[in-house]
Amino acid sequence: MANELPFIDPTEPRSGNPVNPAARPADLAGKVLGLLDNRKEQADVILRTVADALRERYGVARVVVRHKEHHSKLAPDALLDEMAREVDVAIAALGG
Amino acid sequence: MDAVDEFEFFLEKDWSDGLPVVTPTEVRLARMLAGTRRSADELIGTVPPAGGRATVRSLAIHALMAGCKPEYLPVVLGGMALILRDEFNLNGVQGTMHGVAPLMIVNGPYARKIGLHGGNGCFGPGFRANASIGRAIRLMLFNLGGAMPGAGSATIFATPLRYTACVTENSEHSPWESLAVSRGYSPEDNVITCAMVESPRLTFDDTNRDPQRLLTGIADSMTAMGSWNMHTRANMVVAMSPEHATLCTRAGMGRADVHHRLCELAGRKVRDLKGGGNWRRERALALPIEVDPDDDECFIPAIKNPQDLHLIVAGGWGPCTAICHGWAGVSRSVHGIYEEFV
Repeated sequence: MANELPFIDPTEPRSGNPVNPAARPADLAGKVLGLLDNRKEQADVILRTVADALRERYGVARVVVRHKEHHSKLAPDALLDEMAREVDVAIAALGG
Repeated sequence: MDAVDEFEFFLEKDWSDGLPVVTPTEVRLARMLAGTRRSADELIGTVPPAGGRATVRSLAIHALMAGCKPEYLPVVLGGMALILRDEFNLNGVQGTMHGVAPLMIVNGPYARKIGLHGGNGCFGPGFRANASIGRAIRLMLFNLGGAMPGAGSATIFATPLRYTACVTENSEHSPWESLAVSRGYSPEDNVITCAMVESPRLTFDDTNRDPQRLLTGIADSMTAMGSWNMHTRANMVVAMSPEHATLCTRAGMGRADVHHRLCELAGRKVRDLKGGGNWRRERALALPIEVDPDDDECFIPAIKNPQDLHLIVAGGWGPCTAICHGWAGVSRSVHGIYEEFV
């Protein structure tokens, strides 16, 4: 619409390509669960609790825990790539 | 097609800060781009979290929308390049629940030339360069970064400093060298320092002429229990009025002496901090200084690293100092020379 108007659109194309969400597994039995601790206080407690529950109730086979450097900083691509290779599902958690 | 009211159009599109903007047209853009010799297509960086491209062209569009003159564009360009540096951690601030803004402190002759104001009322409205340069930055953090509250930003209150956050020092009445010169720059260098801080909190003191008492009162305002400065390593800006700074100078204290003394005085004992506020034992143990959270007498300074205290002289004549507290996340202040337009 803006192109039909005598104004400039102040927004710029976003960098990168759109990312489609990964396919969701039907169940968690025998799956590898990844947990990304963002390093907020008590995020580790929340994630441990979630991991225990998912193991007990849904049969998660193995849990892989990784940590961000700081909650306010992005996780580096290398860390995300490594998790993507190793785990079937991942959960990122906030603490606080 | 019905005539479109461009002011309403930009407000409906969420392309403003809630106030009308100057409509960006090709003619106005060409006029703004005359404020720099740099190529319009030059990429300054991408603005998190959305990743919009900050090019010289997109900076010029937002500068004109904000009401800048073309001669302000070098400051917008210089400021944005600093704000996008990794160590400043704009990504974290864009999303945070807290309400800080990138305050630009502009030193050097070009700031004076374009009319940036550091005197009477400098943190408030009434000064085109201060108002529009800071506003241009904010519009880009919204339009290119997507940090609108409720979308890319989880801020609880934000801060009035998010309308604009750009000042210079009161070089005419300051008894001291500028912030930039204190960091090793020449007085002829055009330098921007950016720090992530909250809105100023004023400390009025028309009683004490003894600097030790004056600084004790100022230091007290640096140590609120709910301030992140007490619980993490964070930046802080202390803007002394020329009158307060002059009281220190007359007693033989230079800028470095006052800076040092504020770092010494501003702090609280563990006993006080445990009484409420944001105290957590694990938070205290994570501080980058040696702290014993089980020792009630242990003194925790507001300033964990002297580099984090930005002491400036600004404002008009009168007995007041403005203090801006910092942010919980990891944001290190940034400073550098920017290219003026001759």
